[in-house]
Amino acid sequence: MNRWVVSKANTAATKSPWLPHWPGWSHLPRDARDALFLLAVIGWTLAPHFSHLPWWCPLLTVVVILWRARLAVANAALPGRWPLIGVLLLAMALTWWSHRTLLGKDAGITMLVVLMVLKTLELRARRDALVVFFLGFFIVLTNFLYSQSIAVALTMLVSVWGLLTALVLAHMPVGRPPLARAGAVAARAALLGAPIMVVLFMLFPRMAPLWAVPQDTLAKTGLSGSLRMGGIAELAVDESIAFRVRFDGGARPPSAALYWRGPVLARFDGIEWSRLEPSYSSAPRRGAQLRVNGPPLGYEMTLEPNRLPLLPLLEATPASDADAPRLDGQRAFMRGDLQWSTERPVTDRLRLTARAYLDHRHGPLTDELSLRDYTALPPGYNPRTVAWAEALRDEPRLAGAKPAQLVDAVMLHIRRGFTYTLTPGTYGDDSEGRFSIDEFWLDRRQGFCEHFSTAFVVVMRALDIPARVVTGYQGADNELQDSFHVIRNSYAHAWAEVWIEGRGWVRVDPTAAVAPERVVSSRTLRPQPGVVVGAITALNPALMLNWRKTWETLNNHWNQWVLNYSRSQQFDLLKDLGVRSPSWEDLAYLLIGLLSGASLIGAAWAWWDRHRRDPWQRLHDRIARRLSALGLVAEAHEPPRRLASRARGQFGAAGEGLAAQLEALDRQRYGRHASARPDPAWWRGFAAAASAATATRPR
Amino acid sequence: MIAALRRRIRHWWVARHPRTDTWILTQRNIYIVPTPAGFVFAAVLMVMLLAAINYQLNLGYVLTFLLAGAGFVSMHLTHNTLRGLTLHLKPPQPGFSGEPLTIEVVLTSPTRLQHGVGIGFEDSDDPKLARSHDVFVDVPAGGQTSAHLSLVPAHRGVHEMPTLRAETRYPFGLFRAWTVWRPAAKLLAWPAPERPVAPLPAAPAAAGDAAQRRASDSGEFEGVRAYRRGDALKRVVWKKAARTGELVSREASSALPQELWLDWQQAHLPGTEPRLSRLAAWVLAAEAAGVAHGLRLPGIEIAPASGSAQQRRSLDALALWT
Repeated sequence: MNRWVVSKANTAATKSPWLPHWPGWSHLPRDARDALFLLAVIGWTLAPHFSHLPWWCPLLTVVVILWRARLAVANAALPGRWPLIGVLLLAMALTWWSHRTLLGKDAGITMLVVLMVLKTLELRARRDALVVFFLGFFIVLTNFLYSQSIAVALTMLVSVWGLLTALVLAHMPVGRPPLARAGAVAARAALLGAPIMVVLFMLFPRMAPLWAVPQDTLAKTGLSGSLRMGGIAELAVDESIAFRVRFDGGARPPSAALYWRGPVLARFDGIEWSRLEPSYSSAPRRGAQLRVNGPPLGYEMTLEPNRLPLLPLLEATPASDADAPRLDGQRAFMRGDLQWSTERPVTDRLRLTARAYLDHRHGPLTDELSLRDYTALPPGYNPRTVAWAEALRDEPRLAGAKPAQLVDAVMLHIRRGFTYTLTPGTYGDDSEGRFSIDEFWLDRRQGFCEHFSTAFVVVMRALDIPARVVTGYQGADNELQDSFHVIRNSYAHAWAEVWIEGRGWVRVDPTAAVAPERVVSSRTLRPQPGVVVGAITALNPALMLNWRKTWETLNNHWNQWVLNYSRSQQFDLLKDLGVRSPSWEDLAYLLIGLLSGASLIGAAWAWWDRHRRDPWQRLHDRIARRLSALGLVAEAHEPPRRLASRARGQFGAAGEGLAAQLEALDRQRYGRHASARPDPAWWRGFAAAASAATATRPR
Repeated sequence: MIAALRRRIRHWWVARHPRTDTWILTQRNIYIVPTPAGFVFAAVLMVMLLAAINYQLNLGYVLTFLLAGAGFVSMHLTHNTLRGLTLHLKPPQPGFSGEPLTIEVVLTSPTRLQHGVGIGFEDSDDPKLARSHDVFVDVPAGGQTSAHLSLVPAHRGVHEMPTLRAETRYPFGLFRAWTVWRPAAKLLAWPAPERPVAPLPAAPAAAGDAAQRRASDSGEFEGVRAYRRGDALKRVVWKKAARTGELVSREASSALPQELWLDWQQAHLPGTEPRLSRLAAWVLAAEAAGVAHGLRLPGIEIAPASGSAQQRRSLDALALWT
């Protein structure tokens, strides 16, 4: 059989050097079929990583998997050890070249993918297969570093099922078991294990990270410390709650005054805005130099877990003892740019109180060297906008104008010719983002806060005025929810700050110039639906509404029960169970108690079950005991009909009833319509016949 | 020292099991421990849990606990694979020492289809028997299947059946369940026949009555004659029988006597075992030539006859002679 396959493959190989003969799925040798299945599962598991791996890695993955599949179908030999080591070294060099390191998250995942792919070329012994499975489970986990959406979860569920199925196949050494059977066994094990999973998930005490990890990976949404065109658009439609606020005395400032400060972005590489690490390290760091006026505004904030190491506090919350946020379990500190950070990402609901001053100034009053960081523009990007700004400054009416006048002039320009929309389309597609601000500022002139703030900062910098982008939230729901104002993720906002001599950093919100209602009334603008959605809506509005509602509910539950399930939910659960002041230890006790209880039940069942045997054999023993009381010694190998004939021989007519019963049993077990288990009613008839035989047998 | 201690513990532990030819697997005679792969799996789960904690990944927790649950369930599935099986050893056929001897084990599953059950010899330090590797079988639901093992006895005589082991790692290979089974049956190994075969001893001049009668049966020439009851099957000319439908027997070569005594005294070799080997080879040669043969060993005499029963009788006597 094997020889035949080899020779067949060889003749095919002479015809086409690349494509081996395909015998059809059901005629594949078992090894080839299992290998193809495992390759498909590995490809499925790796595919979600392709978008964030360096370009060569997906290429290597696809080439190696296809080549390995070809080897499997052609039943050809695997490559030797040295070519593999060569490819591995090459991949390590490429990883170094792409990431400048072999450690850390991105480089680590690249190496993990490379190892996984190369290991498929080395599947010889069972040990190799197990390495592939364990690497596979780990790669499934790394997918969650990038997204924990329902779609990713379902994709990875398929991966886990596939890996478990392949694991089962590897332990079915006989014949050619169908894939479906292995898949059913894997699914059965996973389903039976699901209760354990649920209990562990609900009760395993959630703890803070054991050591610091790079925190850029944790961003769930928006405000992640970097901004590129299109970044906030996802947030704009996310109606989930970011945090809740209650103001002392119930006095709510107008929405236009509510700026919740997030990361300040001052470094621009032409595409992406990110935090500035000051390049003038010799410059004296004088902190925020915050100057406040007027009465303080006290507030209480409940922050939903945002997986970011920051607190979006109201502008401006000073760091003095009386005003600084008071919170449990975290240490917070204020950066030089007035933004509040925490030591660790906020992964649990956080409650804090603080005081803010709506009237405030900050930053240096006189020009200093460090401000030059805020006028830097990368050369070669958006040349037309820079030229526009220079032309503006050369206008005669602005000759010798102060920066404040220039700001007013640009704001006027925005107010006149721009449109606010949440669906402006994408910018910079043709130029790979090099001219995206040119396109916005001079050609299309429609967009929302991220477009306005970034373009405004670029124009300011072109005018040599220090400027930076500030991200955060703006406004609050007008309606109260349990005396709290709700701030949703859709309130995410980006605005600008310019530095003006004698005043310091001054907030300028170019979006307010275009869409004042966005800032004044906190009414978020719904995005226009896309073409398909629009068509469905036109045809059947109710259906679309229902779908959307179902999807939002599902997503909401997912967020609430899976992604944001944290210690506070665990403690709520304990409270429901009657624990008055839940603690970490209570969780551990409950978990240990449940697990040991389950183990005890399992042990009890095993003890009860230890004598379980084939029911027919058990019945045979019972019959033998009963017959031996009558003086007939039944051997283990004697079927009922044999016992029947012996009973006839030994007891004569008195044994007739007994023999008839035994023959009935024989038919039950071996007859045409044999049953799987003995009929429990039979024993009564037999016992009656046996007593009758006892009474009447000749003595 | 430690090795010796371990051997003794192992011996004591194996000896606890009763000797029986039918071994029913229940909760009480199945052992289960994690495999090395199981320990690696546990380590991988710990690393995954650490990653889930450090990156605060709730789906990481879900995945880790899902795998932990499936792994735990697989322990029961592995145990269930063996539980309820019945192992039965068919009476083993004797064979020559130094040649592989087949042992047939019948596995019965009264309930479900069971995958990946391996049958093999329990490792021991006994060098007297060379063994085959494990044989894997699937046991059909409510049915039977056979596993064939082979082992090579090193010398003639009666051997205890080596301890057998049925084990499985199905479904995930994280746990290994096994049972130790000491069958009661004994193995009989005949002496290895001498090679090359020494020429058969010449018939003694004073042959017995039976020899004369047999001799007169044969004609003076070599040829064929009609089949008579009692002719060895080997002497039937099957080709002719197939062609004509008539049974004819080949007449023995007159060079060979019709009856032969294979005598301990005639096997002129030093040492007991070489002599027995030569006698065994002669038994086979005589039987192949269709000559009635008898066997004389000190203290034992088997009257001449031919046929497989006679061969068996002679070889058994050679195997058991002391």
